[in-house]
Amino acid sequence: MHIAEGFLPPAHAIAWGVAATPFVVQGVRSLTREVREHPESTLLLGASGAFTFVLSALKIPSVTGSCSHPTGTGLGAILFRPPIMAVLGTITLLFQALLLAHGGLTTLGANVFSMAIVGPWAGYAVYRLLKRYDVPLMVAVFFGAFVADLSTYCVTSVQLALAFPDPGSGFPGALAKFGSIFAVTQIPLAVSEGLLTVLVMRLLVQSSKGELTRLGVLLQRGRQASAPRSETEAKA
Amino acid sequence: MLPIDAAAHSSRWRRRHPVDKAVLGLGLTALAISLPPWPGAALVLAAALALLLGPAGVPPRKLWRAYRIPLGFCVTGALTLLVQVGGPEGYVGWADGGAARAGELLLRTSAASLGVLLLAFTTPLSDLLPRLVRAGVPAPVVDVALVTYRMSFLLLDSMSRVRQAQAARLGHTTRAATWRSLAGLGATAFVRAFDRASRLQAGLAGRGYDGTLHVLVPDVRVSRRFVALSLALLLALTALTLVLERLLP
Repeated sequence: MHIAEGFLPPAHAIAWGVAATPFVVQGVRSLTREVREHPESTLLLGASGAFTFVLSALKIPSVTGSCSHPTGTGLGAILFRPPIMAVLGTITLLFQALLLAHGGLTTLGANVFSMAIVGPWAGYAVYRLLKRYDVPLMVAVFFGAFVADLSTYCVTSVQLALAFPDPGSGFPGALAKFGSIFAVTQIPLAVSEGLLTVLVMRLLVQSSKGELTRLGVLLQRGRQASAPRSETEAKA
Repeated sequence: MLPIDAAAHSSRWRRRHPVDKAVLGLGLTALAISLPPWPGAALVLAAALALLLGPAGVPPRKLWRAYRIPLGFCVTGALTLLVQVGGPEGYVGWADGGAARAGELLLRTSAASLGVLLLAFTTPLSDLLPRLVRAGVPAPVVDVALVTYRMSFLLLDSMSRVRQAQAARLGHTTRAATWRSLAGLGATAFVRAFDRASRLQAGLAGRGYDGTLHVLVPDVRVSRRFVALSLALLLALTALTLVLERLLP
């Protein structure tokens, strides 16, 4: 769930925008460097953005019987890395606001912070940590996607609780209120997204080994998995 | 093509410069969140609705189909303000003034959403994106956004066909089959996106692609009259809010 247009007071909307800016600027810099060194990357990155947008349009069945869509941040971060996801996520959220009336422009900063920054970084950190301890790829992918999804909604709960503190108990009460509402729906959805991501990754391992190796997800001969994909990233 | 974008391509204001529409649409959104919800956001909501259905000529049914999505989120979010945690009534009870706060939030979000919808329903993204370079967005980012925009529709169309094919093969009859089908759909999106990117790359390389995507942008100018009228409307709404705020209870 994205925070809807106009939901946050102006000061909060601006503050979250300011908080998100350094991460997006870093992503823009690394994307610009990548495109300048490898012009053909524009198309690959555009395809990755389209994939992220389409992924967020998939309806997944929830354990509670309802239906929702995956955030796609976990899979995106594992495939394309968090800095690039900050840019692709921002583009996706902008498209969702203008093409689907989902989310908003005044809440773009807050949504970018939760979905395009915290979600990808948290999911990617868990994925890398598990890979370091030689946990099987699919287990690492599951927990990466699970944590990315859940952390996104934890941050959204914090954002809403800060904007609308409870009249009786202030920020902690509001956090409990929003957190418990999200927990009912989002924990099952995070499990669902983790499972879906594993199934997608299994199919990708079978059908797109070349692309996964190029993206650094799979092992290349004589090279460590998840190593930088290009000289640009190695330098960075 | 998605319904809002399709409507934008055939909008009466399609030939207007995006800056004209951004001043009006985003100006209304800014007023909706910065003025007092009552009567400010209510006035903005009425003005945005009148502009959408009147001069902009957006069909009411299309507007409702797009508007009900943010409205659903607004209602769900506003409901949480009706209750409070802790207090004399126990763990959860009715919040004092919760209904008023929920009503104000609902007014603010619904008015702000209509402001953005005014821009979205009259300005195709293909008109907006190339102009972002002038606004200071780096050209490579705009190029990536343009490729994402164009490829998204192809992929969505492709996904719709795959979903139909899966349904025809009873791919959604059981929970397990649904999961398998969804995974197939996600993987197919990835494979097709990368396949299209590599084919596009080969095609562009044959045409001397140097890393910059040149697209034709309709040659339209910013209308000073339209911008002036938009600013006058925004000022009038602000003044009316300040006056009514003192007069109304």
